[in-house]
Amino acid sequence: MIQPPKYPGNYSARKQKRWSQGSRNSQSSGQIRTDAVHSRLQPNHIFPAQLYSTESGRLFHAGKVLICLVGLPARGKTRLSVSLTRYLRWLGVKTHTFHVSDYRRAKYANFEDDIPDDYFRAEPTSEEGVRMRQSILQDCLDDMLGFFEKDKGQVAVYDALNVLKKDRELVQELFSKNHIKVLFIESIVDDPSVINRNVQNAAASPDYEGWDPAKARKDYLKRINANAPIYQPMNEDGDESHLRYIKFINFGERLITNNSQYGYLVNRIVFFLMNSRIKTGCVYFARCGKSDLDKYVDDEVLNEEGLQFSETLANKLLDTIAKRKKGSPVPVSLNASSGSSTDTLEKHAFRQPPTADGTNDDSFVVWTATRKRTSATADPFRRRGITVRERYQLNQLNPGEIADLTLEEVKQRFPDEWAQDQDDPYHHRYPRAESFHDLAVRMEPLLLEMERMSGDMLIIAHESALAVLYGYLMACSCYEIPSLQFPRDELVEISYSPYENHARRININD
Amino acid sequence: MPVYTVSHVQNIRICVIMVGLPARGKSFISQKIVRYLSWLSIKAKCFNVGNYRRQAASHPTADFFDSQNEDGLKIREEAATAAVNDMMKWFNSEDGVVAILDATNTTRQRRDWLLRLCRENSIEPMFLESWCNDEKIIMKNIVDVKTTSPDYEGLDPDTAASDFMKRIDKYQEIYEPLTIEQDGDLTFVKLINVSDQVIINRIETYLESRIVYYVMNLHIRPRCIYLSRHGESMYNLEGKIGGDADLSERGFKYAQKLPELVKQAAGDQVDNLTVWTSTLIRTQQTAQFLQQDKLQWKALDELDAGACDGLTYEEIEKQFPQDFKERDENKYEYRYRGGESYRDVVIRLEPIIMELERQENILIITHQAVLRCIYAYFMNVPQEESPWMSIPLHTLIKLEPRAYQTIVQRIKADIPAVSTYKEKGTSQLGESHASGNSSKNLITGAPIDKKDG
Repeated sequence: MIQPPKYPGNYSARKQKRWSQGSRNSQSSGQIRTDAVHSRLQPNHIFPAQLYSTESGRLFHAGKVLICLVGLPARGKTRLSVSLTRYLRWLGVKTHTFHVSDYRRAKYANFEDDIPDDYFRAEPTSEEGVRMRQSILQDCLDDMLGFFEKDKGQVAVYDALNVLKKDRELVQELFSKNHIKVLFIESIVDDPSVINRNVQNAAASPDYEGWDPAKARKDYLKRINANAPIYQPMNEDGDESHLRYIKFINFGERLITNNSQYGYLVNRIVFFLMNSRIKTGCVYFARCGKSDLDKYVDDEVLNEEGLQFSETLANKLLDTIAKRKKGSPVPVSLNASSGSSTDTLEKHAFRQPPTADGTNDDSFVVWTATRKRTSATADPFRRRGITVRERYQLNQLNPGEIADLTLEEVKQRFPDEWAQDQDDPYHHRYPRAESFHDLAVRMEPLLLEMERMSGDMLIIAHESALAVLYGYLMACSCYEIPSLQFPRDELVEISYSPYENHARRININD
Repeated sequence: MPVYTVSHVQNIRICVIMVGLPARGKSFISQKIVRYLSWLSIKAKCFNVGNYRRQAASHPTADFFDSQNEDGLKIREEAATAAVNDMMKWFNSEDGVVAILDATNTTRQRRDWLLRLCRENSIEPMFLESWCNDEKIIMKNIVDVKTTSPDYEGLDPDTAASDFMKRIDKYQEIYEPLTIEQDGDLTFVKLINVSDQVIINRIETYLESRIVYYVMNLHIRPRCIYLSRHGESMYNLEGKIGGDADLSERGFKYAQKLPELVKQAAGDQVDNLTVWTSTLIRTQQTAQFLQQDKLQWKALDELDAGACDGLTYEEIEKQFPQDFKERDENKYEYRYRGGESYRDVVIRLEPIIMELERQENILIITHQAVLRCIYAYFMNVPQEESPWMSIPLHTLIKLEPRAYQTIVQRIKADIPAVSTYKEKGTSQLGESHASGNSSKNLITGAPIDKKDG
């Protein structure tokens, strides 16, 4: 029986070692899994990369923050709120997204029949529309306040239109009164191709299940058009400069922050926003090939079987990407950046083609750990001219004094440590070893580089490193991460969508 | 192939072009960026146009900077050209990655010229403007400049200040700040009153985003950082490296004395201080008598010696003669079998450095190699030297970062301890006085104050 902890967060994880057997679930090949970024946080939830926390379970230097999104429909507010939530949760900030559309769907399952058209306008024109809109927004606001008060939440993300000044005023007043700081993030898009892509995405949302795509698009455009004329961009008249806000323009092309002096969270969020890209590619995870003795300390090279494995892996992966892209307008290219050069006399008038990794939708990059056999597993990709980067942060969990011991030997020589590890495998550290938590903190700088990559990437690393990255992308709790399994013969594909990520396991020998 | 800590560095050359009136903290920001990137092994250098101009005009008055003063204008343009030429040479002959052009660059004409030069040489320009109309911040910078600028050497501070303000006015007359309307196509960052408002435009690479994030975390509030190794450990007594040993009797005495040393060094700030330790027993035992808040960081653990952990240098020389030699030849890059190199330690310390920039008073109790890396960051010690610095036991180091330099102070506990310093080419510990190696004295010798540019 697991005792509920006295205090939430890593603080108590360290003080009161605990572990739930029930949360160890294994997965079978082929099954698609949805990430847990929308799951309700348990009071004792522990975050993978939380550096430290206080007895309240909050980061002591951040305070309570409401992130209030602002923007017309099809400006990627949902995608933004979800990816921010995933990142902040990972960093150890108790965060939850509140999508007003989820509240509406919960109350009125079928919007076509149950809701008047003008409900979707920030300022409905009919009496019924006003009543419905107010009651749905009120439910959402009440839940957010409850999240701060009862669930010890630290950051709530409010995913609603908030295109009217008076709506923002109300939010600012309500939350300030409760000693919660408000940070507005306004998403502005004036690039028609981006809007178009977002409308396509929206037409595939739960609202339009079973609809004809063209009809769905048309209906969604109605929601945009109802709000565009009444939209009041933030601080347009200069009377909102007292508010703390970030303008996020064309998905990171431009960012303007206002009133953001040295806030830890705000800086983090800006750093995230600078790197957050719309993903068209997938992230693939693979293990390295085998070596003769399989010893940690020796840093061995691949053996014959390992070499064979690396070939099989490369073929399967390239085949998988080609199949996925079949019929998509994005061609398969094997370069890290695939920018074409602008060869003209007036060179200075043009930007250089981007030379950084992963800047294009059709880019492909391989990352490996720096250990010999892991790096060598990527050789078939190198031979094909594909960019391979060695990353020190991807190295496996340092096993310390239990390196190269069998399970039986560990139990025998470190009985107390073994028992503690059973209690809390995420935070427990064998003598001189790293815990999963240490590993997560070490890998944190890689996450934003991953966020920046628009195209495909493959990560070849040890099971422990893959578990941590998978944990980030799939919003796993740290109860789960130590028991995640990545068999050698499976390739894991993680695909992005605005509302959630999906993971699929592919057998490389099929 | 070198392993960069930031992968996107390959094939990228960035020129950070500073923009802003005098006394807007441009040099401070420039030097911080260079230090941060160099520490991460990203080749960076600052080119300060003022230094070039001083060769022709060393103590100019405000009139020199008048846009109507043709002689002045000519000298200033020549200085800018010389700086840019040197910068281009540096990019090409030394494989530079990030150059900072530290000058006012206040006119659009000047910026267009730089833009064209950069683009023609496949260098991405990133403009970084510090715009400020907060009198308090400006006055603080003016005080800094008038007391440290070589332009006003030997001049009465009040005369210097009034001349300097006149100079600012001269620039103000022709200043064209960056605007979204006119410069929207450029990669630029505009800091308004330090960070009241920040505009970040067209950041195209991870490296650029990292520079922006770093700049946003900088602050200029006064504070101090205190560094100490753990007290002498049982392993130190036996000459062994690594391990997770307890403190020796003398080490324990140091732990007992540490609160007093900290009080002596920190004065009235003593309660306004947070203690960071590693997760190893010896640093925690060293911190045990301190009453301040404490935080443990795995990232502060000692360099992992892998297969050599728990051995003495003599044993390493016997058991791994090849490794022993290789490590002496390139101590920064050498990675112990199954362990870490100095470069690996720097990578894992990066989040600590970012957090340190944000924080105020911090006392770090950690280990020899880790301390060398942290010290190297604050004091701009090059990679070839930092692994060879001598950092004695039972000594508290106080670092006081100022706008243009870091002031170092050492407070000895006066409790004897063994020396854990190993010179190149020997397995014996201790410092030979005859050695000509100057770098080892960076901490034991006179405090250095390095200034770039």
